Amino acid sequence: MTSDSKTSAVLSSGLNNSLEANSLEAWVDTILSEDEATRHRSLESLCTGLSSQELLAAADRLDAFRRQSSNLYHRVRALFYLSAIYRYFLPRKISESHAGLLDQAAYEHILQRRFGEAIDSLLVTQRSEGPTLAITSALAKAYYQMGFQTLADQVRQSVRTVRGNQWMFRIGHPADHPLRLAKRLMEYDAATRTMPVLVEKTSVRMDFSHSGWSDIFFLGMDYPEGAQVINAAINLGVYGRDDAPRPPVEAYVRVIDRPVLRLVSVDLGAEAELTEIDDVFDFAKDYLGLLKAALIASGVVPPAMEGCHRKVSELLETLMGQSGLGLEIVSQVNNIPKGSRLAVSTNLLGSLISALMRATGQVSLLEGGLQDSDRRLITARAILGEWLGGSGGGWQDSGGIWPGIKLIEGCLAEPGDPEYGISRGRLMPQHTHFNVDRISAEARKKLESSLILIYGGMAQNVGPILEMVTEKYLIRGEKEWIARQQAITILTEISSALEAGDVRRVGELTTRNFTGPLQTIIPWCTNRYTDSLIEKCRAHYGDKFWGFWMLGGMSGGGMGFLFDPAIQSEARQWLLATLVSTKRELQTSLPFAMDPVVYDFEINERGSWATLLKGEDASMPESYYAIVAPKWLKREMRDLSEQSQAELMRLSGKIRGGESESTWLLDRLLPQPSRQSEGAFRLKEMLKENGFDRQAHEQIRNELVSGRLGLSQNRLPSQSTIEDITADDFIDMRTSDGDKETIPVGEQAIADGAAAVVTLAAGVGSRWTGGAGVVKGLHPFCKFDGRHRSFIELHLAKSRAIAQRYDCTVPHVFTTGYMTHQPIADQLAAVQNYGYDGPVYLSRGASVGLRMVPTVRDLKFFWEETSHQVLDEQQQKVRDGLHTALMSWARSAGEASDYTDNLPMQCMHPVGHWYEIPNLLRNGLLLKMIQERPQLKYLMLHNIDTLGATLDPRMLGRHIVSKSALSYEVIARRVDDRGGGLARVDGKLRLVEGLALPRESDEFKLTFYNSLTTWIDIDQLLGYFELDRKTLSDAKAVDAGIRKLALRLPTYITIKDVKKRWGHGQEDVFPISQFEKLWGDMTALPEVRCEFFAVPTMRGQQMKDPAQLDGWVRDGSAEYIKSLCKWS
Amino acid sequence: MALKEVPKSLGNMSLRTEKPMQINKAVITAAGPGQTSLPLQRLVDRDGCEKSALEMIVEEVDSAGIESVGIIIRPGDEEAYRRAAGKHVERLCFIPQSEPKGYGDAILRARTFTGSDSFLHLVGDHLYLSRIEARCAEQLIKIATEEACPVSAVQATRESMLPYFGTIAGNRLPRHDRLYEVKRVVEKPTPTQAEQDLTVSGFRSGVYLCFFGMHVLTNSVMNVLEEFSTRYDRPVSLSEAMSEVASRERYLAYEIQGTRYNMGVKYGLLNTQLALSLSGVDRDRVLTEMVELLAHQPNISTSAR
Repeated sequence: MTSDSKTSAVLSSGLNNSLEANSLEAWVDTILSEDEATRHRSLESLCTGLSSQELLAAADRLDAFRRQSSNLYHRVRALFYLSAIYRYFLPRKISESHAGLLDQAAYEHILQRRFGEAIDSLLVTQRSEGPTLAITSALAKAYYQMGFQTLADQVRQSVRTVRGNQWMFRIGHPADHPLRLAKRLMEYDAATRTMPVLVEKTSVRMDFSHSGWSDIFFLGMDYPEGAQVINAAINLGVYGRDDAPRPPVEAYVRVIDRPVLRLVSVDLGAEAELTEIDDVFDFAKDYLGLLKAALIASGVVPPAMEGCHRKVSELLETLMGQSGLGLEIVSQVNNIPKGSRLAVSTNLLGSLISALMRATGQVSLLEGGLQDSDRRLITARAILGEWLGGSGGGWQDSGGIWPGIKLIEGCLAEPGDPEYGISRGRLMPQHTHFNVDRISAEARKKLESSLILIYGGMAQNVGPILEMVTEKYLIRGEKEWIARQQAITILTEISSALEAGDVRRVGELTTRNFTGPLQTIIPWCTNRYTDSLIEKCRAHYGDKFWGFWMLGGMSGGGMGFLFDPAIQSEARQWLLATLVSTKRELQTSLPFAMDPVVYDFEINERGSWATLLKGEDASMPESYYAIVAPKWLKREMRDLSEQSQAELMRLSGKIRGGESESTWLLDRLLPQPSRQSEGAFRLKEMLKENGFDRQAHEQIRNELVSGRLGLSQNRLPSQSTIEDITADDFIDMRTSDGDKETIPVGEQAIADGAAAVVTLAAGVGSRWTGGAGVVKGLHPFCKFDGRHRSFIELHLAKSRAIAQRYDCTVPHVFTTGYMTHQPIADQLAAVQNYGYDGPVYLSRGASVGLRMVPTVRDLKFFWEETSHQVLDEQQQKVRDGLHTALMSWARSAGEASDYTDNLPMQCMHPVGHWYEIPNLLRNGLLLKMIQERPQLKYLMLHNIDTLGATLDPRMLGRHIVSKSALSYEVIARRVDDRGGGLARVDGKLRLVEGLALPRESDEFKLTFYNSLTTWIDIDQLLGYFELDRKTLSDAKAVDAGIRKLALRLPTYITIKDVKKRWGHGQEDVFPISQFEKLWGDMTALPEVRCEFFAVPTMRGQQMKDPAQLDGWVRDGSAEYIKSLCKWS
Repeated sequence: MALKEVPKSLGNMSLRTEKPMQINKAVITAAGPGQTSLPLQRLVDRDGCEKSALEMIVEEVDSAGIESVGIIIRPGDEEAYRRAAGKHVERLCFIPQSEPKGYGDAILRARTFTGSDSFLHLVGDHLYLSRIEARCAEQLIKIATEEACPVSAVQATRESMLPYFGTIAGNRLPRHDRLYEVKRVVEKPTPTQAEQDLTVSGFRSGVYLCFFGMHVLTNSVMNVLEEFSTRYDRPVSLSEAMSEVASRERYLAYEIQGTRYNMGVKYGLLNTQLALSLSGVDRDRVLTEMVELLAHQPNISTSAR
């Protein structure tokens, strides 16, 4: 143990005498206090000025408190305080040199969601070894996740204990089912041979005020006084497509003459007949998860029946009082795109639940509107359904079930409530309807003629934002808490403006809310697309543009623009064109799911409404028949049930009589010109253009099929020894030792123009957008100096700062691939290299692979034999079901077959970053650079997401002095740094990839993680390719040199996610196989002379996932990066 | 062997001063759809004597000292009922329900028979077995007589049986184990509604107090039925009338010490017969025959069918 760690160990062992007990109690007082000012004290005010010793003492006190506290919210606040201390405050007090190792057992506990055990184990280590970067990061993660787990458990408990829901958790056998289907649904009409159809039509909800995310259940339960939102039920139509707005959500229920549950989602084109009760609980098997969740949450298939192994027919017999009958449930959302931020799926769930509860007599009326008590019940069931489906909306989301405009507020828990004594607020909010006395009909009309609702088309994951908000509110982040109070005031003002009929004022307020409090709380709720649209509206319409409002968790999807009613009609057309053109400009840098859409809307004043269709009227929507009729037609008429036969006859009559178009039926039945074959042709062309090697591809496929290649074969032999490095194995660049000698060397080299930067930007950043296939380098991910800046702009800004400091030019290369080359080239041309003075080069990739359907063996290895974060109980069930479904997909699509069922771009893959340097040789760029600048000797290669990598004279000087060919930068490992690191492998010092480690546990032996930033001595490197500056112009020699070296490096099989987009904003994510060669493996070659620099975390850490952004700003990393940049 | 236990009288504790109620009449409803033939079924009673269900119901009524019995029947069923009534036929008054207008209407048809008197009401498709010496009707009449108000017999029932019964919400009366003041009655509630509105303290989750098929009804109940049948153009259930009674006057529910057997459900007759036999003189014989039946049919499984 070092002396540092000994000191820390002493410090961390409980309360230090020098601390006053009172200062420690301030933390607990803040949590417990009934006094508002004390309870809302910010975390910053508690932490400011505390030493590491005091922070550790505070953490000890809080940990003791959370263990003994029986109150849920007290525990959760303590957990989030603890997480923040270990994530943001304590690491700043720990020396970078004190990296530490992560305890594997603790890590496994975290993955398995045994957070308590993980924390106990980590604290024991901390007490003996002192706080290290590895341990504090793991503690922060464990406390954070435990906080959310505690909250999720409470919501689950509350949902189960709401009166009216409890019985469903007791009824475990179909024979005990206490519901009966309404007799009116079983009245067969012999004349038309039809059964009645119950139709429920429901609006979606629009949030007027943006609640400042206060509709998250946890927040309403923590601070009900601050949980408020004004929302309206609205009918929608797509501008240019639909004649008039209508309730977009429809649910149909009817009795059928087969003892099955038949589920049909018209919009998703999915249909299934369930015969086993267990199938109802398999949410991920098909696209019918929402309908299944509705069946369960409505009590038709009570949740307690999960795993009962009984037949659906038994349940139906009890439900209907006779055998042989079944139930059909159909959903339709009028093609409203996914991600509209209008809570379409929650309201569809509510609509389905409402129809099913009407059908089983659980709400007052079979037809017509709903009572408030019914709506409350349906809302509670919708929450249950969302929890079952592994998703989770806010409590305002069922707003379409309720009529008109209403204020929805959190309520204090009172004696008798299941939440009383556990949380300050109830799970369920209360609704206050704004009648026309309060908001006049004229004001409503005015709003409708001013507001243009749109769907921007962006595909987004709001989940991380909701987590950020929850944590920030619960720890009372200083500026966030002030912003929250401002948002509450704005809501009151919006309410007054609506009552006064002043829509212009509403626009001012919603804009102020968006640019002020909302972006203060979550800067990531806006993006370049939204900002650009607002700017364009202002520039085009001046003061006739009244304002903007954001719908849902973040902008880019559902949004509202308010205009002077006099120009609304013209503005609508202009806005649609502007949306489309802005999307075109940005679609390579931001993830879009589909083209933007403008809506027509009106406020729905009657809420969810049901009608019982009988006789001739008792039919399903036409699009339903487009799904089921082709299947019926493929069978013999006599094999169909009597009801299906009658339906076909009726359909035939309608088509003959001209009442129904027949083209859709023909489209379904007859072959059409295939887009797929066009795509296949384009794919072939693109493969050819991008250097696809069919021979090598077939070789890999054969090896995959035979089992010689695969995820488990990536690993080094199990007898390999993996050891951590010693102090002699690396150069510690986290201290200033030796700077005097090396800095001048580096500075001179930069000033002489001997160094250039190579940024790897050929990959598609699978993790960044979940396989959406946009160019990560161009993603304007964060605001600097008042504007969203992309990764590429940021890297150039760092090179600019260096060039200006040393009064020179720094050549900057971006390597590109088949997907990134053209967009990057276009963007750099459009912005004139962001005003960068030095030369900017693009090095285009010269090879590409074709993705393959993974083998089931690899999928099993990936999902079952390697460690993954286990999800919360219900989400994990859904994920397990999805994995089973995807393995079936791999089997049916053909294991190791070419993956071609997507856009051509999404079927190809880059072949790993090892090829980026050979590409520089192959495409002649290095030769060109050397010719233009013969003094060029060194390259700094780094990943697009290593934001801190800069041409630092300290590092360069050290590299030059060391005379090594390659100097790799490594950083101290933190909990989320998985993927190998610096090790002695069978005695040889080298970087080893995580997927090559013989055992997962080996990773926990390694102190350092590979940042991939590499200092390259050009001449030595050329030597390894058996080249030199002269032979670089000989294409054959270059090719031969690359092939020879490539053969000596391992090929890894990896599983990546790829998105397939379809329908209206729908996205499916598929796992696919691809192969890679990786740059770190150069260190495994015995002749390559390598050094390893341990660098500060902020320099080497990587930005892989947008969910990291918030922490990255809060821990000071963003500020550090900003200090390295010089903007044009 | 039934225990000797009679419901405790509230006589000494009750502050009520009204004259005790006299109950000399009973009304049996047997006109419901699917119900008409059930009282005619022949069963073997606890003493091993074969008789019709109707006879057994009348004997139940007899035990409580009732003198005259009115039976609501479908027009045309009288002859069959006369045959089934055996020795009790002379005491029966047959009242036809000319149109099938529901349960409430059926009871209302008996008004010419009951006049303004309180009366015992039983449904014709149930048989009742007491767990104590006093029979079920006797238990109920004793309470009603003392309390001088309408009283419904109720039984703790699992939620899976809610689709078959009227269910009450009420509070247990102080110092009385089995007597409840009824606040509300819901006919065949959903479990959701039952959980929200009909839980009774002292019962486990999912257990509710449901009608036993036996009530003591007063003239005020008949008034409500009359009022409802005039007001609504639809069949009126007894439950909704009783719920109205609960809002207007004192109305009690008594948790009877016995079990009701509904002959009208699937295997209802079989269950009723088994219950009778297993609590009577032929218990050993029936048990032996059941064991033999099982022993000779060991391989029959549901799938084999």
